[in-house]
Amino acid sequence: MIEFRNVSHGPLRDISFTLQKQERAILFGPSGTGKSTLLFLFNRLKDPEEGEIFYNGKPLTDVPIIELRQKFGLLLQSPNLFPGTVLDNLKYGPSLTNSWRPGREKELLEYVQLSPEMKDRDVDHLSGGQQQRVSLARTLANEPEVLLLDEPTSALDDKTGEDIETVLKELIEQQGLTMVMVTHQMAQARRLGTNGLFMNEGTIEEHGKIPEMLEQPQSKALKEYLQG
Amino acid sequence: MSPEISNQSLWFLIIFVVIPLSVSYFYQLGLSRNVIVASLRGTVQLFAIGYILTYLFDLNAYIGIPLMVTVMLVVASFHARKKGKELPYVLPVIFGGLVLVEVSVLAMWLLFGMVEFIPSEVIPMSGMVIGNSMVAMGLALERMKSEFSENRGRLLAALSLGAEPKQASTLIVQRTLNAALIPNVDRIKTIGLVQLPGMMTGLILGGVEPIMAIKYQLVISLSIFSSVSLSAMFVTLIMYRHFFTENKQLLESEEAMLAYASNQEK
Ligand SMILES: Nc1ncnc2c1ncn2[C@@H]1O[C@H](COP(=O)(O)OP(=O)(O)OP(=O)(O)O)[C@@H](O)[C@H]1O
Ligand SMILES: [Mg+2]
Repeated sequence: MIEFRNVSHGPLRDISFTLQKQERAILFGPSGTGKSTLLFLFNRLKDPEEGEIFYNGKPLTDVPIIELRQKFGLLLQSPNLFPGTVLDNLKYGPSLTNSWRPGREKELLEYVQLSPEMKDRDVDHLSGGQQQRVSLARTLANEPEVLLLDEPTSALDDKTGEDIETVLKELIEQQGLTMVMVTHQMAQARRLGTNGLFMNEGTIEEHGKIPEMLEQPQSKALKEYLQG
Repeated sequence: MSPEISNQSLWFLIIFVVIPLSVSYFYQLGLSRNVIVASLRGTVQLFAIGYILTYLFDLNAYIGIPLMVTVMLVVASFHARKKGKELPYVLPVIFGGLVLVEVSVLAMWLLFGMVEFIPSEVIPMSGMVIGNSMVAMGLALERMKSEFSENRGRLLAALSLGAEPKQASTLIVQRTLNAALIPNVDRIKTIGLVQLPGMMTGLILGGVEPIMAIKYQLVISLSIFSSVSLSAMFVTLIMYRHFFTENKQLLESEEAMLAYASNQEK
């Protein structure tokens, strides 16, 4: 479905891999190796300096960029909510194409396990976990096909992180979404991922099925990374 | 009151310089050199401009006015540019904005007979309009840069949700304009209560009837009010685009912006 062919950008060097529909890929590796940068290449917040990316066999650049970004929902590491109410945030994406249906907030809030009364709350008065949930719901409001998640739970405490993780898992399974998630937590990788991409110094050092890769690491770098 | 100030009494102005100088000295602000240089420079500039003005005011309006206004526009553009050097095309944008503001204000003045087309009226009034617009543009540029870096995450979030750069920047543009216009609104609100405006004071000291002086002041204050708004809006609405590429991507940093702009020119 998505293919990177010899892509370089900033810290990334000669990245090639293929992602199948409904695959749930975990992107992991040491800090600063370019995981976030790689994620930004999917929805074209960045473009390759070299190489090419294909989507369903065609160059990614053939898809109108706004359409592409709605299809590939990106959740950033911190919530980055817009000032205003929860509802203002949920409506943001769909309103850009006049496709917001009033009342949809109920369903969206339910996805992320927030109560419907939350819709009128000022986002500044929410806890970190609540904000991250609203952020996730805001991304889901565009009904993306692919979810790109940049350490969605790393800024949260364990309990809140696990709650969000459960929410994500259900959503992805129910809706048959394709996912690329960056995480530093290997337990989370096992629970959510089907495949793994281990990155080191800007390249993909190793890739494979998730439990195998973590149990029988091949490269020296991955072995070291897993030992912490 | 006599508008004549004797040369001897001018020497006593040194006392006004000694005060900030001693503050700087006692609190070790390291500003002493600056205070002295600034006072000397200001004095020399004022005397020089005094003589130049006398000369300009005697010139034909069609030579004196364009000459002096051009000098003001150029100096103001280079000064305001300092606040946004990293941004591409900032100098021509500022210059263009100031020309636009000055020309429209001047046209209004002349059209409605508020000001006569003579150097002694047009030059000082243009100076006030251009000077205030320059400050507003500098403020807007500075504010816009800091809003862009503070709100980087939100901008990326908005773009990721499918916003056009223009839509993603709405909040930043609002905040920038707000910051650039608030001092302006405050100034108009308290006009005459806290500060007697400079021009009006000058006219009254020069023996003009207060009512006449107020009329002039009203013209200049409202002209400044609208030109400041116009110039802040002009730079903001033109410059925000330069924070993005044509592929609706947010540029990395200010250096990246310059590099990108120079690549585009090739
Ligand atoms: N266009 C670029 N040119 C050069 N360097 C870049 C460019 N873009 C990003 N970088 C640098 O690459 C490094 C890796 O960035 P990135 O945020 O993708 O890493 P990461 O793997 O997500 O790290 P972390 O786990 O800490 O989030 C950063 O130091 C960043 O400054
Ligand atoms: Mg990262």
